[in-house]
Amino acid sequence: MSTIPYKHKMAAHCESGAVTSLLNNAGLDITEPLVFGISSGIFFGYFHKMKSFAFPTFIVRNKPGSIRNNLAKRLGIKFHTEKFRTPDEGMKRLDEMLEKNIPIAVQVDFFYMDYLPEWERVHINVHFIVVIGKSGSKYIISDSYFPNLVELESTSLRKARFAGGSMSPKGFLFYPEYIPKDIDYRKAILKGTKKACFNMLKIPLPFIGIKGIRMFAKKIVEWPSFARDTEHLSHEIMKINILLEDQGTGGAGFRFMYASFLQQASAILDKPEWSELSKEMMEIGDGWREISLFAARIGKNRELGPDRLKELGTLLTGRAEVEEHFFRRLKTSI
Amino acid sequence: MKEKDGFIDCPQQQVILYVEKEDGKYEPMQTGSYITKNFLDDYELKRRHLEESLKKQVLSGEVSPIYYYMVLEDLTISELAARAGIRKGKVKKHLEATNFNAIPQETLQVYADVFNITIADMLKLLVANADDSVNTNTGS
Repeated sequence: MSTIPYKHKMAAHCESGAVTSLLNNAGLDITEPLVFGISSGIFFGYFHKMKSFAFPTFIVRNKPGSIRNNLAKRLGIKFHTEKFRTPDEGMKRLDEMLEKNIPIAVQVDFFYMDYLPEWERVHINVHFIVVIGKSGSKYIISDSYFPNLVELESTSLRKARFAGGSMSPKGFLFYPEYIPKDIDYRKAILKGTKKACFNMLKIPLPFIGIKGIRMFAKKIVEWPSFARDTEHLSHEIMKINILLEDQGTGGAGFRFMYASFLQQASAILDKPEWSELSKEMMEIGDGWREISLFAARIGKNRELGPDRLKELGTLLTGRAEVEEHFFRRLKTSI
Repeated sequence: MKEKDGFIDCPQQQVILYVEKEDGKYEPMQTGSYITKNFLDDYELKRRHLEESLKKQVLSGEVSPIYYYMVLEDLTISELAARAGIRKGKVKKHLEATNFNAIPQETLQVYADVFNITIADMLKLLVANADDSVNTNTGS
């Protein structure tokens, strides 16, 4: 089997990156920030105690799968999607699609992506990669977190596509089946933005949106009680930096990419006030970046006493305040 | 974030960062990971300490190699049970050193697949100063 001609590009995030790259390769000229903004990707959620997480954690994007679903709904694109009962069925279908020269996005456990350095690889079932070919026992992969095309052993891909546990992929795959000729971006942008404001301001759960950032700020002082020792706490505090900067966010927990979305949307909608808001979002992102650097520094120096954690909490409260103000203004400007 | 402030030279781990370009446009820039560039040695040090402390626990008979890899790979008991397709109560037993020897080979293989290691890797932990040349057929 040969490799399908495919233009590989790194992206900020794996899901918006895989969706954007499949659409670009299918002939639709759309940027990752537009995909992210239209699908209401920006988010915040704090999880203090969860069965599937060994430590408190947070998310800065909407639910996995929502980027594809929301985008499809709002732009009229149809994606073919499939899940499988057995690994044999799932791998067979993938091979059939590749035989037909169709690049396929698959959901995988990030841990088995052997081409990435060991320190990056964690068990998380919601990574998305595009498979574009097969050579012997290896698949050719376009992973938006890696600069070049890579190869992955069939056994690793199989394990990754059929890892169990929370949000298990069950071999999930998708590809664009239909892309409309004329797309009304204006309506889609407004809808996506409205929903993002709702998610950040109105979801009646204390751990979601602005309320979630506030909860994070308050609960961070309790983190030491979850840690085995100082080094474990240091590792978890430094993971704040990784979750905001390294795990495919485009920097500052997606805030920089959202600023880019608002800038592009401002031109499409001819809304100069959104250009101002995009600048503001960029500054909000700078504040998040400050938090990531602070977390990395205190983690490295093992300055993890209550004072330092409170300081981190104060920085987070600051983000909650500016984001609340921001999303209220964004909402009224729609 | 301005383009010149965002660039980090770290070929080991490349990322995309959205930055303000000179023309005022917010666009992607391929750059390096801040934390990998500055603090990878600290991560490796902590990881080594964790491995050593877990190995000590295995050798002293406090916990089993399943526990070792569960903690190392940051999995909870629920998550490991769901991934391995083994009841949570049974997984709990498998975490205890005293029950490890009774785990059938097939079950060990299931765990090894989840952890992305070999059964030999698990068995090596039971031997002090074991190196990579351990006989891989000792698992029967």
